[in-house]
Amino acid sequence: MLALMQNGGGALAQTPNEGTNFLHELLLWLPLPEWIPGWALILGAVGAGVGILVGLVSLIALWSVWMERKVSGHMQCRNGPMYAGGWHGWAQTIADGIKLFQKEDMIPIGADRALFVLSPAIVLASIFGALAALPLSYDWYFARMDLGIFTILAIGSTTTIGVIMAGWASNSKWSLYGAMREAAQVVAYEIPLGIALMVPLITLGTFSLLDASALQSGFFGMGWAIFQNPLCLPAFIIFWIAALAETKRAPFDLPEAESELVAGFLTEFSGIRWSFFFMEEYAAMFLMSAVGAVFFFGGFESPATYALRSAGMEGTIVFSLVCFVTLVLKAFTGVFLMMWLRWTLPRVRIDQVMTMGYKYLTPLALICVLGAAIWEAILHVVLN
Amino acid sequence: MTSPPQAEHKPSIRPADEARTLPSGEREFFMDVATSDLEVNMGPQHPATHGVMRVLLRTDGELVTGAQPHLGYLHRCAEKIGESVEWLQYLPYTDRYDYLSAMNNNLSYSLAVEALMPELEIPRRGTMIRMICAELNRIASHLVAFGTYGLDIGAFTPFFYAFREREWIQALFEKICGARLTYSYIRIGGVFNDTPPGWLQEVADFCDVFEEKWQEYYDLLIENHIFVQRTANVGVISEEMAYDFGLTGPMLRGSGVDFDLRRDMPYLEYGEAHDAGAFKVPIGTGEKGTVGDCWDRTQVRMVEMMESLGLVRWCLEQIEPGPVIGDVPRVIKVPPGEAYVGIENPRGELGHYMHSDGGKIATRCRVRAPSFVNLAVLEDLMPGTLLADSVAIIGSTDIVIGETDR
Amino acid sequence: MDFQAIADHLSVAQVPGLLSVELPRSPDKETKDKGRSGLPYLCVEPSRIVEFLTFCRDDDALGFEVLVDLTASDPSADDENLWILIQLLSVRHRQRLGIKCLLPKSALSMPSSTKVYRAAQWHERECMEMYGVTFEDHPDPRNMLLPDDWVGYPMRKDYEFPKEYHGISCE
Repeated sequence: MLALMQNGGGALAQTPNEGTNFLHELLLWLPLPEWIPGWALILGAVGAGVGILVGLVSLIALWSVWMERKVSGHMQCRNGPMYAGGWHGWAQTIADGIKLFQKEDMIPIGADRALFVLSPAIVLASIFGALAALPLSYDWYFARMDLGIFTILAIGSTTTIGVIMAGWASNSKWSLYGAMREAAQVVAYEIPLGIALMVPLITLGTFSLLDASALQSGFFGMGWAIFQNPLCLPAFIIFWIAALAETKRAPFDLPEAESELVAGFLTEFSGIRWSFFFMEEYAAMFLMSAVGAVFFFGGFESPATYALRSAGMEGTIVFSLVCFVTLVLKAFTGVFLMMWLRWTLPRVRIDQVMTMGYKYLTPLALICVLGAAIWEAILHVVLN
Repeated sequence: MTSPPQAEHKPSIRPADEARTLPSGEREFFMDVATSDLEVNMGPQHPATHGVMRVLLRTDGELVTGAQPHLGYLHRCAEKIGESVEWLQYLPYTDRYDYLSAMNNNLSYSLAVEALMPELEIPRRGTMIRMICAELNRIASHLVAFGTYGLDIGAFTPFFYAFREREWIQALFEKICGARLTYSYIRIGGVFNDTPPGWLQEVADFCDVFEEKWQEYYDLLIENHIFVQRTANVGVISEEMAYDFGLTGPMLRGSGVDFDLRRDMPYLEYGEAHDAGAFKVPIGTGEKGTVGDCWDRTQVRMVEMMESLGLVRWCLEQIEPGPVIGDVPRVIKVPPGEAYVGIENPRGELGHYMHSDGGKIATRCRVRAPSFVNLAVLEDLMPGTLLADSVAIIGSTDIVIGETDR
Repeated sequence: MDFQAIADHLSVAQVPGLLSVELPRSPDKETKDKGRSGLPYLCVEPSRIVEFLTFCRDDDALGFEVLVDLTASDPSADDENLWILIQLLSVRHRQRLGIKCLLPKSALSMPSSTKVYRAAQWHERECMEMYGVTFEDHPDPRNMLLPDDWVGYPMRKDYEFPKEYHGISCE
């Protein structure tokens, strides 16, 4: 990278091929003249990356919102949106987005303006940062990270800061309640979330999402972590409950809790700022589901990828596409599961949330880690 | 306009040695830091208040330490209007206090006026149609209570299911009287008109379908583990407390008191129906927690729906052709006298005290609204609970603000 | 017990404050009495109402656990009395009791029943704002339904509707 900065386009060819990603490939592939300065190239690459990320988050949110409305509608004996766009109201979310963009930008009089404006940005930035660490296929990724899951958890948890800022800055008591609930809840559930993820990490022996996926390719593409170690299943359930709490989805939607706290930390937000929080929520759902899919359910691996690999198509664009589609399908299955739970279950109370997080999930997750470690030890040391 | 004076604000900085016992039974963890309680207005516009009511909460974090309901945002002078319009003209106003059970309101008012008119005969078919309508309306009202309670607890879907069945009942009422919410169908002396052809069969069809759906709702929400955790042992009203606050209806029965005006002080043909075994009176048993908790009240309402269904079926068997309204003149003149009649509304005893001096207009029209009385218990019930519990408690009282404020 | 039995029981027990027993009666043409249909009730002395209600609540044979309703009535603008009407209900014995207190309009004050029945608290607050009755020792004598700065007692027959309220014309 440093070489690129100093030598400009000419350095591209000499850049070592480690950490290669599709932006790098794009730069190589484009017929770039040598006189372009290095900083412009980097800026361009960063711009393209950000553009792709924003597009990705918007697409996920767009699709998820429509899906949520359809899922909830059909669960409640309704149709959901049916008019905008013609076919089953597919353009409803776009229409809503346009409406939200046009809305008056309102900041309450007593609000802390700086924090109020900053909080949606922080929330959105954190989810962008976390999603950037998620590979979309074996060779479609923004950065090849050996500690990918650490990055995702670390950057993803900064959302909380944005939410607390939003609640504090709104100068509304209900918002403050929402913010405090968010703080308590997220702190409580980060622990079991991280510990539960240790189980597949022990099973697979890697922190990298790409490697984790590749390690589950055995048994006709079905050598998923959940089948490799019996303790992955309870660990996944713990992970899933914690992920629900992390993404503020029902039955853990206490920070919003519309029947109790009006709209929680979102009470004073409207228009585009409000939609930023919304985008974050859906992107976070997707991210959590994708992480679950990568570490428990085989990531890019499925019988389809196995078949393509056997046919010697590894490395082609078709193979990448199939990997991408596999991950997206698995992730959206998770998103659907979250929606299903949301439209079925009542909300739990804050003390029950805390009790569950600290008294049950954390110890259980620790036991799972211990069991998984013993299992692996038996498998590899004793039996080997 | 001068702002209404707030409740006296006491900065309650508590000394550190006053650690309280939390609802979970644990002792409060107390850092040696002086804190003051947060005063927060729940309402007038708040999703949990089911209308425009304001509860001034004093909270310490999530713990509610004080609650004070403020009413009057929907006061429409119903009683004053009752003293200035003719007897029959007032009937549509009765629809508006508890707009979820307008048939029962009509019935209570009509019975109170009829109590002053001893020579007025009400035909049996009219009485039967009154009972069918009142019980169907009770089901519709309890469906809203069930659905909105689900919303309060955070479950959305039961609300839509409940409204699907309620829609059916409203369609039935629309066929019989043309209105879907404010019926004015039960009149002084009977009911406005006879049922349209085939209507009774449609009611029977509804009963058959609803019975299956009811079990679904019960399993979906009432037996749901999270729901039970949220409502059992929350907002416990003891029997003594229920008596003291004058609670009636499901609130009283939820506290384990076996009392139902339909059985114990029968009006219409409810006595006969009970003797025929058409309905039983469900009471709170503390199955999931303590007798008189929120779960018991909700469960009593659920079971009452089924009992109402039994009553509707009994009426459908008993109903015979005949006139539906007694001999009532166009301009009613009520003999002098006073009468208080209370009937079992979905929310409790709806009483009308009517005083006539023999003219075309009532001298005094008093509405004893069940929601108004039931709401008073909040002040005692809410302190010491969590914020989420206070929402569960308000929901379990099943108030209709139109009725509390009249 | 029916109403007559309750009235007899109360007379025998010599409850403080019981004045008379009013039954429905048919019209009498000679005295130009228009008669009175409806329900029977007891007349009770307002100043003794607390003792009376306490007896009704605690007596085993009566057992009126529930105060169903407490309200006032202004029979006419010429009448010198205001009526306080109380409805009691016994869940145990399945019986009701109507009580009436005549309160002279010149001295609209009587003891509060809140100590006997908590249910009376909100009813009395409503009575206070609507009729101007003062209930002594009431724990929370604020307005219930009306705004706190409302002038006059709207349910009284001699009440004049205000011409304007905070700059809003009411005509």
